[in-house]
Amino acid sequence: MTIEHLIHGHSQASPEKTALISGGLEITYAGLWKEILKKASWFSRFAEKGDRVILSASKSIEFVYAYFGAHLSGMICVPIDPETNATRLGRIMDVAKPKFVVGELRNHGEVKVIPFEEISAEDSSEIFGFPDENAVADLLFTTGTTGLPKGVALTFKNQMAAAVNINTFIGNTADDVELLALPISHSFGLGRLRCVLSKGGTLVMLGSFASMKKFFGEMERCAVTGFGMVPASWAYILKMSGDKIGQFASQLRYIEIGSAFMPLENKQKLMQLLPSTRICMHYGLTEASRSAFISFHDDKDHLMSVGKPSPNTEIAVFAEDGTPSEAGEDGEICVKGDHVCSGYWGENAEVFEKDFFGDWFRTGDWGHIDSSGYVYMVSRKKEIINVGGKKVSPIEVEEVLDAIDGIEESACIGIHDDVLGEKVKAFCVCSKDVDFDQVKKILVQNLENYKVPDCFERVESLPKTASGKLQRLLLKN
Amino acid sequence: MNVLEQVIEIVASVCEVDKTEVTPESTVGDFPAWDSMGHLSILSQVEETFGISFEPEEMMELEDVSDIVKAIENKMA
Repeated sequence: MTIEHLIHGHSQASPEKTALISGGLEITYAGLWKEILKKASWFSRFAEKGDRVILSASKSIEFVYAYFGAHLSGMICVPIDPETNATRLGRIMDVAKPKFVVGELRNHGEVKVIPFEEISAEDSSEIFGFPDENAVADLLFTTGTTGLPKGVALTFKNQMAAAVNINTFIGNTADDVELLALPISHSFGLGRLRCVLSKGGTLVMLGSFASMKKFFGEMERCAVTGFGMVPASWAYILKMSGDKIGQFASQLRYIEIGSAFMPLENKQKLMQLLPSTRICMHYGLTEASRSAFISFHDDKDHLMSVGKPSPNTEIAVFAEDGTPSEAGEDGEICVKGDHVCSGYWGENAEVFEKDFFGDWFRTGDWGHIDSSGYVYMVSRKKEIINVGGKKVSPIEVEEVLDAIDGIEESACIGIHDDVLGEKVKAFCVCSKDVDFDQVKKILVQNLENYKVPDCFERVESLPKTASGKLQRLLLKN
Repeated sequence: MNVLEQVIEIVASVCEVDKTEVTPESTVGDFPAWDSMGHLSILSQVEETFGISFEPEEMMELEDVSDIVKAIENKMA
């Protein structure tokens, strides 16, 4: 069974039910399926099964048609952020070798980008079989610890398993109306899309939390029952609108929060304003989406844990040598379940296998499980910086910094920020006087805004291991 | 420089666009960098530049350049 199968089922069983709302546009399940078929017909005319297509948009309804249409035609989708910088795009293209790049992409340089509207066949009477559940559905490019983007390959089975696990935990039903203010080309937003449509619910597309007037306006107009957000979104909502969300306490059935550090007081404030909403926070990574869940009200004595394993998922802690840790002892958090990714695109199996202890996927996160089964994450073993839910690889920023005249070498870390959770700080070893305002200007031209360091510090040297490996975490002290 | 010109300058620098692209009608979401992070950065620079501060219920009403200008003028009056 695949998500496409389920959407088709809803288009037959409840054709007039609203699937998507975007501004003044409302699309029923029958209409959605028709649009998916149009895209699928176009793709199947020009591409072979297994070809990759890069798709990019932040909220376009056309993205939804193209995404499922590409799957139905047998293509593999590579969703990317419309603001992706040219260097990252180049690397993704090198690995994915896409047949087409479709959608809205700002920094595409020489790359030809086909607008969504052009992907449409007049005649969509072609009959498509549903995708094979063991085939690769999507490649999601992570920030990667080496700085090079890594293409995480998720099969239809992985995605279906994740959707079932999430819907089971949150308790979503066909009656839900969800507001999607997350970017649709990111793993979290896409996951919400699949969860809602697989249940036959309604998705209201907003694309961003930036306008609080629109956020609350759509909540009221569409009688929204739930939404997804990252901890930084909640800090923003609180700052911009105070306690206003409390006015929606009786209509909001659920909220799903993405994995990033969230201060205890922010969790308690949300619980106080929404006393009967099922507030769920997940722990997961691209390779193993939503591996654990906590429900704030139900697990109120364990709010600083990441919760317990998601339905149909197992979590265990292993020592560095791959032996299981004693109960309560810190080690690497490892995950098992059908939602765990099936490979890394363009990498041989050995590289992929290194991320496993047997059939347990190694998350790279450090923590323990307490005596009542709650999983506590102590630190990110990986040095990825999380700026308001957007992941920054320190290496990507350092590469640009190191190319600037006068900067010998650099290291970037995340430092605490009240609203964003983290922001980037750069430590630079300089061979001459460097004007950091000028450095910032160069960075802005080469990187997305959120990746540009907020502060700089000139240092004599950077901490390194005996073998010369940079120890960024030591800079945090 | 009047209030409008100062606000336009702040918006242009945060959104990394030319000042000529910013009008009194420019609003949150109009430029890629005018997302929630950009919006916060614009409002905090406005607060700093004019030595004022906004309450959450005021902030929610500030969406386009002219909203921000009006709010500043009210506070300064």
